[in-house]
Amino acid sequence: MELKSKCRLTHIRVAGPFRSLLAGFNRSLTRLTFQPLNIDLVKQICFSPSNEISDCMNLTELLDNMACCLPQKSALIEDDAIVSYEALRKQTVEYAAQLERLNLQSGQRVGLRLPNSIQYVALTFALWRINAVVVPIPMEFKEEEVSTIAASMHLAAIISREPGKAGVPILAGCYLTWSGKPVTSRHDGQNELNIAFIRFTSGTTNIRKGVVLRHETIRERILAANKTLCVSSADIVMWNLPMSHHFLVTIVLYLSMGATIVLARHVLAGPFLEAVRRWNGTMLYTSPFHYGLLARDNSSRRMDSVRLAVSTTCPLPREVAASFHARHGLHLTQALGIIELGLVCVNHDPAGRWDSVGRPQPDYAVQIRNPDPEGFGEVVFAGPGFFDAYDDPWTLRSELMPDDWFATGDIGRLDDQGYLFLAGRKSAVINLAGRKVFPDEIEAVLNRHPAILESRVFGLAHVRLGQTIAAEVVARASVDPESLRDYCRVHLSPEKVPGSIQQVACIEKTAVTGKIRRSPPSYE
Amino acid sequence: MSDPAHIEQRLLAFLRQGIFSEDIVVTEETDLLANGFDSLNLVALLQYIEKEFGVWLPESEINETTLKDIRHLAALIAQLLHDRPPSP
Repeated sequence: MELKSKCRLTHIRVAGPFRSLLAGFNRSLTRLTFQPLNIDLVKQICFSPSNEISDCMNLTELLDNMACCLPQKSALIEDDAIVSYEALRKQTVEYAAQLERLNLQSGQRVGLRLPNSIQYVALTFALWRINAVVVPIPMEFKEEEVSTIAASMHLAAIISREPGKAGVPILAGCYLTWSGKPVTSRHDGQNELNIAFIRFTSGTTNIRKGVVLRHETIRERILAANKTLCVSSADIVMWNLPMSHHFLVTIVLYLSMGATIVLARHVLAGPFLEAVRRWNGTMLYTSPFHYGLLARDNSSRRMDSVRLAVSTTCPLPREVAASFHARHGLHLTQALGIIELGLVCVNHDPAGRWDSVGRPQPDYAVQIRNPDPEGFGEVVFAGPGFFDAYDDPWTLRSELMPDDWFATGDIGRLDDQGYLFLAGRKSAVINLAGRKVFPDEIEAVLNRHPAILESRVFGLAHVRLGQTIAAEVVARASVDPESLRDYCRVHLSPEKVPGSIQQVACIEKTAVTGKIRRSPPSYE
Repeated sequence: MSDPAHIEQRLLAFLRQGIFSEDIVVTEETDLLANGFDSLNLVALLQYIEKEFGVWLPESEINETTLKDIRHLAALIAQLLHDRPPSP
């Protein structure tokens, strides 16, 4: 028996064990109970070097393979809408055809600015299907911030819920707006890279830039991460982080492994726990801020079906770890995900070492560079699936990592069992409830205010949010901090408005470079 | 400071200017969650309340009842301010 795939992987020969596995698959929409697939077998089928996808592949093949293996399995659930793997695949094919009719071309970069939704996932895969490059744009960004990304990333178009003046309706409530600059490539050799995704980061230099990832790179990091996450078709992942910030080693990984993703858009603990109960959620992957809310829920709702609760995006406060365990009987598993690298560490001993991000995953190696007498130094990693280039300015990974080690900018130490403990960051990126905020971006806004000569933005330790944002300004004359905050509210998304703005006589600079001296943020 | 009506007006101004887009009419009784109030909005709101009123909403109080609308939220802030021990 041969099943024909719609993509590059043209044939899957279903071996005896796999036939019996398919036959044993049990699906019930109401109870959502699934027998797990043999993941080794799935990997063998989907990722084997002997098939045709190893050298040059497209991430849509991962979805197509699952649609072929498990067509009726639920892929995504949003409110009461349930989309199967086959329905999702069909949706991406239809969207891709529609995007092609609009003359969107291979290699063009397209900004995606949509809230978490089935539509978001389908459009991402549709863009990949026509070999476009996906550039996620956070929903909370104001118009000015979106324009900055569009210009610096050379976006050909943006897909959003905003019709604007020239938006072309492509789906219900969804518009494509051309930028007027249909740039396909600005750099020699870029088109040959098979780029799938570009996302902003501070990198290690505090300067925002695009992290460029190829289709093959993303597949490598997905495989590496799942060696310990062990996501399978038995999993029902409760999802509430913004897809514009988290998508690859999460949403794409879950879909590659046949899991069901429930878009639990609820910000509050009560409705979220109700969704876990309703869908028998098995896995949580969210930030300490959300776990803090779940820990303080005073209802009797339980999470007995959850096997794994991963805490990511920022350090886990002791109080959240303890109160979550006391309330739900689950240990939070810290993990370290870095956009340049993937999910490099997962803690397998959350009971004994709650404050560690764990050992490196099997395919990765970690070192502490230039350790002090207590063993603290800069954390560096080597492994598969690392980023391919930085954009703006365009720099290939090989130029940045000649020795194959990536310096994270994190300060940490390893214990005698190889568990990594992070102590802070070398860089000045502010971590606000798990969201990275770049000081230079806020300083640029403050410096544009007519009364301001210069400014310095930095993080202040906050017991609940990790850090909050503070600013110092040098002004031409006395200036009302509240008027500056109002000015920031016009130009920045609300969470980036500094909580405190202090007028000072001068901004402290470093002696050697003359750059702004930034107070190192402190982790709890 | 702890007058609920006064708190309501300040919360309204903040949510209208900083959180919701202009096409959403926000009143004291607007259902915040039904109008797309997300986790990042919550972080911004918590920071605003802490700065403006000097109280941090306990996580146990961040629930469907409190965030139902501005009226309920203002009532909770007023209660927290009322219960706060006097400054030495």
